[in-house]
Amino acid sequence: MSEQKVITLICERACDLDSVCNDKGEVKEVDGLHVVKLPCSGMIQPLMIEAAMKAGAAGVIVTGCQIGDCYYREGNRMIRERLLGQRPPGLKKTVDRQRVLALWLSRPQKDRFLSEAKEFVAFVRQLPSPPPAAAKPAAK
Amino acid sequence: MYTSIPKGLTDLTLAIEKGTNAVISNKYNPFYYHGALPQFYLWVLFLSGLLLFAYYIPTIDNAYFSANLVNAWTSVDYITDKLPMGAVIRGIHRYAGDAMVITIVLHALRVWVTDRYRQYRWIQWVSGIVLLLMVLFIGQTGYYLVWDERSLVLTRMTVSAFDAIPWIGPGLKAWFLNGTAITNLTLSNFLFIHIGLSFSLLFGLWVHYVRMTRPIITPPPAINYMLMAALLVVVFAYPITSGKMADINTAPTSFDIDWFFLFPYWLMAKVDLTTYWVLMVAATVGLCLVPLPSLYKAANPIEAAEVVLSKCTGCSLCSKDCPYQAIEMVPAPAGSRFKLLATVKPYRCSGCGVCVGACAFDAIDLPNLLDTDVTAQIRAMAEAKPN
Repeated sequence: MSEQKVITLICERACDLDSVCNDKGEVKEVDGLHVVKLPCSGMIQPLMIEAAMKAGAAGVIVTGCQIGDCYYREGNRMIRERLLGQRPPGLKKTVDRQRVLALWLSRPQKDRFLSEAKEFVAFVRQLPSPPPAAAKPAAK
Repeated sequence: MYTSIPKGLTDLTLAIEKGTNAVISNKYNPFYYHGALPQFYLWVLFLSGLLLFAYYIPTIDNAYFSANLVNAWTSVDYITDKLPMGAVIRGIHRYAGDAMVITIVLHALRVWVTDRYRQYRWIQWVSGIVLLLMVLFIGQTGYYLVWDERSLVLTRMTVSAFDAIPWIGPGLKAWFLNGTAITNLTLSNFLFIHIGLSFSLLFGLWVHYVRMTRPIITPPPAINYMLMAALLVVVFAYPITSGKMADINTAPTSFDIDWFFLFPYWLMAKVDLTTYWVLMVAATVGLCLVPLPSLYKAANPIEAAEVVLSKCTGCSLCSKDCPYQAIEMVPAPAGSRFKLLATVKPYRCSGCGVCVGACAFDAIDLPNLLDTDVTAQIRAMAEAKPN
């Protein structure tokens, strides 16, 4: 079975993964779990999650600081509302919601991240692969 | 990332907050409403102060201590002893002031520990210091108003402190006393300062909040009940008592000190007045200089977000989501297909990228981290073959 990738989009102030990543941004303990750091989880565009799925990622983990404690005041709350469809722009309906995990962890909570991520990676890899998108009707 | 603060200190704060979250959930964690706590006590002070104001008489008349004397001290005495619940209202007013100072200091400490006071936030820090000074002075005038012996000592100490300032000292003294000596007019001036300055706190708070979108100024009701309950416990456990009525013909020298408001007087009694003013001004200026831009600019440069003019559709989502009011929608230039155009105020921008997340048209970017680069990185990672 091919090891599908899982992408983590993480706020650089949320749980500190520097010590568990190699220099290419891949978590050493979990095969195929990649980390992309952003200044704030509020910067995550739903488009980024869609792009990851389209490129063949099995799932996406969104990680921000604990809800209520955003260095930039509201970033984690905003991406949470966007994922839940309460704030535009939202995630497209075609994105499988089972394949998106949101974690709200403070800087010292590295172990919690690893345990949750391991479980999630195993879960998304055993999901049946999505049917190929129906071909668009030809333009008339 | 929290670079100027010892790492253990922030980790400790985060751990305490995590523990609190585990017990009472994020929604009710008072750490996430630390700025709203003094604001709640401010409303409590306004309401209880209104009730006290209805019965307070700002005079110092103490002619021969006759039986039916009416002055500030006896009116406070009447409120405490005769009015139903009067002692409770007075206690609430006193202890809510103390609680406000405590919560302001905790608020400032958390803001400092989590490194949220500098660069684009300097105006909140400096206005916060001005607000704290105002709160302290308002509280001190409250201690003058009860007109017991402590009030007399404090008034005299303040007068001598003002008098020691060169150039403006005599003017300040005349303003403070509302004349040349302590008279009935002095007490009405104290009452005016106490109430008038309290309302100008609202203007200071406007400056404090003006650069923030959706400032958190009201804690959830459950926290309000807890704050009020904590206050009432202290009110009933330690009832307020007045000292002896002040007599301006005597010269009392010692008094019980309230450490939340009256610590400047403790300092004033220890050192001479010039040293006192130098220390006070130095402390204030020093606090205001904590977020000095040149200390952080090199280590933490902020690159403001930039709008891609050809892509912006004027949907105003970024402007609504910006936590620092840094994005303004202006009329689009002539010839544009759209009505509005987003513009960034660089001096307010924190470079957090919330606007990038809000934009569905790829029309706003952080110059040092383009979202197209991030997306390309994600694609490359997802498509890479396993080793």
